[in-house]
Amino acid sequence: MASYNRITAEVAAQLRAAVGEGRFFLNEEVDPNYSHDEMPIYGKYMPDAAVDVESTEEVSAIMKICAANRIPVTCRGAGTGLVGGCVPLAGGLVLCTKRMNRILEYDMDNLVVRLQPGVLLKDLAADAQKHGLMYPPDPGEKTATVGGNISTNAGGMRAVKYGVTRDYVLALTVVLADGRIVELGKSVCKTSSGYSLLHLMIGSEGTLGIITEMTLKLIPSPQYDVSCLVPFRTVEACIKAVPKIKLAKLDPQSIEFMDADIVTSSAAFTGNPIFPERVKNEDVGASILVTFTGYDEEELDQKMIRLGEIAKEADALDVLVVSTAATKKSAWAARSGFLTAIEAETKLIDEMDVVVPVDRIPVFLIYIRMLGEENGIRIRNFGHAGDGNLHIYCCSNDLEEDDFKRRVKIIMDKAYTKCAELEGQVSGEHSIGHAKMQYLRESVGEDVFELMRQIKSVFDPDCILNPGKVCDLSLSGRPA
Amino acid sequence: MLNILVCVKQIPDIDLVRMDPETGNLVREGVPTLTNPLDLNALEAAVRVKERYGGHITLITMGPPMAESTLRECLAVGGDEAVLISGRPFGGADTLSTSYSIVKAAEMLGNFDLIFCGKESMDGATGQMASQLAERFNASQISCCSKIEEISGGKIRALRTLEKGTELVEADLPCLLTVEKDNFFGRLPNLEAYLASKKAEIRVLTENTIDGLEMEKIGVPGSGTIVPEIYAPKLPEPGQIIKTGSVKTDVGRLMSLLVEKGSV
Amino acid sequence: MKKTDYKDMWVYIEHDGQTAADVGLELLCEVRKLCDTTGDRLFAVILGNLPETETGKIINCGADGIIRVKGTGYGYFNTDAWSNAFTVLCRKYNPSAVFVGGTINGRDFAPRFAVQLNTGCTSDAMELGYDPETGDIRFIEPAVGGKIMAVITVPELRPQIATIRPGTFKYAPCGARGEISVIEEEISFDPGAVRCRRLDYFPDESDPELDIANADCIVCVGNGLKDQEHLERYRTLAKLLGGKIGCTRPLYERGILPYKLQIGQSGVMVKTKLYISFGVSGAVNHTAGVDADVFVAVDKNPDAQIFNFCDYGIVGDMDEICDEMIAQLRARKGQ
Repeated sequence: MASYNRITAEVAAQLRAAVGEGRFFLNEEVDPNYSHDEMPIYGKYMPDAAVDVESTEEVSAIMKICAANRIPVTCRGAGTGLVGGCVPLAGGLVLCTKRMNRILEYDMDNLVVRLQPGVLLKDLAADAQKHGLMYPPDPGEKTATVGGNISTNAGGMRAVKYGVTRDYVLALTVVLADGRIVELGKSVCKTSSGYSLLHLMIGSEGTLGIITEMTLKLIPSPQYDVSCLVPFRTVEACIKAVPKIKLAKLDPQSIEFMDADIVTSSAAFTGNPIFPERVKNEDVGASILVTFTGYDEEELDQKMIRLGEIAKEADALDVLVVSTAATKKSAWAARSGFLTAIEAETKLIDEMDVVVPVDRIPVFLIYIRMLGEENGIRIRNFGHAGDGNLHIYCCSNDLEEDDFKRRVKIIMDKAYTKCAELEGQVSGEHSIGHAKMQYLRESVGEDVFELMRQIKSVFDPDCILNPGKVCDLSLSGRPA
Repeated sequence: MLNILVCVKQIPDIDLVRMDPETGNLVREGVPTLTNPLDLNALEAAVRVKERYGGHITLITMGPPMAESTLRECLAVGGDEAVLISGRPFGGADTLSTSYSIVKAAEMLGNFDLIFCGKESMDGATGQMASQLAERFNASQISCCSKIEEISGGKIRALRTLEKGTELVEADLPCLLTVEKDNFFGRLPNLEAYLASKKAEIRVLTENTIDGLEMEKIGVPGSGTIVPEIYAPKLPEPGQIIKTGSVKTDVGRLMSLLVEKGSV
Repeated sequence: MKKTDYKDMWVYIEHDGQTAADVGLELLCEVRKLCDTTGDRLFAVILGNLPETETGKIINCGADGIIRVKGTGYGYFNTDAWSNAFTVLCRKYNPSAVFVGGTINGRDFAPRFAVQLNTGCTSDAMELGYDPETGDIRFIEPAVGGKIMAVITVPELRPQIATIRPGTFKYAPCGARGEISVIEEEISFDPGAVRCRRLDYFPDESDPELDIANADCIVCVGNGLKDQEHLERYRTLAKLLGGKIGCTRPLYERGILPYKLQIGQSGVMVKTKLYISFGVSGAVNHTAGVDADVFVAVDKNPDAQIFNFCDYGIVGDMDEICDEMIAQLRARKGQ
């Protein structure tokens, strides 16, 4: 069991001195929102203090103070995580990067951008667009920080065509647990130069170091994009069409899955019924939204024609086109509002973001629905059909919290076992945090889990960086 | 079978239109265009009528040649044919003369039982076109329709949304309707219709091909109103900006000011 | 035609058979001032039965006269009888201008009789001016989403017709004139010829949350709002202040709040003691609808136009500032 020190008046004074005026907060001065992320069901933990940092040097100074005094440090961006990743389980200091929100420079010759970790994803997207460029990773939560995206290796909708966050990180500046500043990676497209600590850092959820600056790869922004909404009678028919689309060399940017329930919830919440619940007088069981991008309109038409043929063979109800600015905006607002729509109609919520081989999606979804029914829990789901990443939400409005947690645990235990059986992974893009640690351990097995722990101890021997997360058992015994 | 006319308009994205501070003119170059959103709600209402009772939908617009793209967008959603009124003499028209031009063109296309219009356009926003078209078509008029209950025997029964209630009305055909956007959310086009709309033929009518058009009634000469002057809104002097260094103290300062004023 | 042959300005008095709607009285008060400049007389036009008691209010707004139209066809509003009545009246009396309240029904029939008379019609003026050289009224209104102000005139035709939104002008009666001429007109419209007939009417159930026109305090949320999920804190703040929540047009367009909460020229005009805007850019169409004793603006853009309309402004993250206000208000209440 790790033991930590409280923040004494003397340490507080040092921390206060390490940053500018008005950026250090002690006890009740701390924003209560720092005690949770978007999944308060995993528990709220207030830190003793919080600091809004503005530079690498400040982070380094803070880490030196905390290392010397054994103060746990939990790094936080916009707090939009879903696994309790930025929650300070052991109290101590929350180090918030939201003020490090500057885009530092574009290198238009090499198509890279250098920026600070607190830049919001939507701001990077908009700014890159002004330069005629696109940052391909596209997680649904646009108000997340890019630093948070890197810490969780966020995926998102465009992963089908462009890959995930990891594929666009060229270099990072990282402050280590003892305050040393290191540069990982270089602005180059290839590297074969020893262990990739860069890639170890990506997705490490603030447990190995604090990211303070990033260099990311961009691509020229595609000039045209068009989406097709393909409704089916059943979930099975819908998912069966996915591999066919992938095999047809259409190179879609994304293939998003939505079932009837989530479409209904979303329409009720946003008042925007862009995704139809009935088509040609039949109920829609599930739909996929397929997006194509390119540099030539004619080419996109041809892809849509081919998609239409596949859809027909796959017994789709219709193929609908999202081509105008207005319909794109509506479709986008509805799709990105799915989670919010679920949250709005739900008092208690828990989630999983498993990833399974694409062909096994229907098996998994049918299983999870059965579990929901067995245990009296409403299931809502949507996800990235193109890569098998499913967002599944357990919801209830009438259960007591304890009872809800007990039932959801039964569902989760069984669902993760099923996921392992189907050769899936615990998390596609939301990460482990503390909520999913046990499932990670079961999923990867003891040998791999132990290797992870050993790596952690190399970077952070005193375990002051985001204790109790990913693979760190030092807080065992505390409620998780 | 009902013969239906839907009037649509292509507008500039007004968020991106700006005023040239030197010349005082509106700068529309390079500003993307879109179909007036409320017109799409009108089209949706027409398509629903067509699905329920059968019918033929003619789309009509007036504008420069590029307004064709708006007609194609509407064809994809459910129009059967499309007509563009285009020509320099039509330019600069207000609603008095635009409604005249549209009705003269529509007279060549047949007799319409139902005419649908958007409540207003985002750019001009006068909201006058529908009433003026209805008058010129010698049609009855149901503005702000939230639901069409029944069409039969040369009559239409529908609900109108008023400020403080809902009115059930019955009107004789021909009838012109404007619709509430929340009740007629526009559908997505299907792929075949979308692809077909790209190749569809658009009938273009000009000042030379519209029957019986009186030139003094179109464009600027036919307009009742003119815009002799535009200017940037005169803004009052900015208020007191509270800037103390942190959110906490800013809000604290504001609260004391509001307490002083008796507002809180 | 000769413009000088057209004299007097008319204001249509919309009513429900019991009371005159505010908008007609507001217009009388404003057009009175215009008539004082132009030398025209001001007439109120009433269609159908309105109790005598209401006439007092009309006279008190400075009308020189009242035109009462009696006859069949005025049992409930219908475009046919209404536009016919105005066409007949205008042809007979040749007024210089006709002002109609920009209610749903006013906006329905006014453009229609403008076509019958073949004259120009303007809508939503916020300011009225007069050009003595031409004798034309200058109707001044925001255009292109409030980015510009446009002056509109009817240079050659008469009458000049205008619909003006309720709440645009203040109801500030200047008192009665000496002599009031009352004209009674019989213009019957065959009820059988009405082409759009009212079969029934269902009043809305009143929801106090949606009735914001005279709320003591209004928290107005604008397009800066990220999404629906971030809205709750503003409701909380409104509740703590004993006020109500309102929004700007984009928020209604985004489907986040209902139309009845849209503040501004094309929505509700509000009169309130304390008005706090969050993430509102300050287009004149919106600010024209706000009459507040104290106006507070919060926005992240220091150059936002809203700061030109406020008494106090804070530049910063709207959510963060709202949360802080909630915290401090709670702390105060706790004391």
